[in-house]
Amino acid sequence: MSKVKDRLITIKFNADRGASMQWKFRPQQTEVKVAPGETALAFYTAENPTDNPVTGISTYNVIPFEAGQYFNKIQCFCFEEQLLNPHEQVDMPVFFYIDPEFAEDPKMELVNSIVLSYTFFEAREGLKLPVPSFVRK
Amino acid sequence: MSTMTFGQKSFTPTPPDKGSFPLDHEGHCKKEMLRYMLCMRANRNDNSSCRLQTKAYLSCRMDNNLMAKEDWSKLGLGDLDIKPSEPTNNSN
Repeated sequence: MSKVKDRLITIKFNADRGASMQWKFRPQQTEVKVAPGETALAFYTAENPTDNPVTGISTYNVIPFEAGQYFNKIQCFCFEEQLLNPHEQVDMPVFFYIDPEFAEDPKMELVNSIVLSYTFFEAREGLKLPVPSFVRK
Repeated sequence: MSTMTFGQKSFTPTPPDKGSFPLDHEGHCKKEMLRYMLCMRANRNDNSSCRLQTKAYLSCRMDNNLMAKEDWSKLGLGDLDIKPSEPTNNSN
């Protein structure tokens, strides 16, 4: 996979929590500038301020939605339950790249900024995690 | 309100390419993470300036069983060499 040298994309980060989720959760950086085809690292930090272990599960979204199909996560903390013990704080990395084909898509010509948004929900019975359609199986 | 979710299972949706990173509960790679963040702040968040720190962080994860060992070329970091004692870059 080769880097597309003449396109620089600014990835901005958002962190949200579901209504009943008590963790503190925030991105560690406001943005990362990256070229399509170049792998990149970003961090979030989560903290459980309660006196009880809390298990969370996260999903993500990409804005603009049409850019989501080019967002490839090599590894991250999403879609699997994560347990934080009482008062524990942990760094959560996302290792990703924007597919070089992004630069070939005429619809993406004017897209220079992408927002990556993670939301943590409290993992419990019956939770239906919202997953965007561009997330690969 | 009790948040006794410990042990309750919910469904497992599909994970990303290499799955989920195990959590670094012990903070084994905290130093490498901080070096990376310092590099980014010093380089106006330009990812291409901090690829050595990225490699050092992932290398730390691999050494501590927090990430499956993988060829660097498959992770887009094959063209870099980590030197044994890495000085902090670009501290302006």
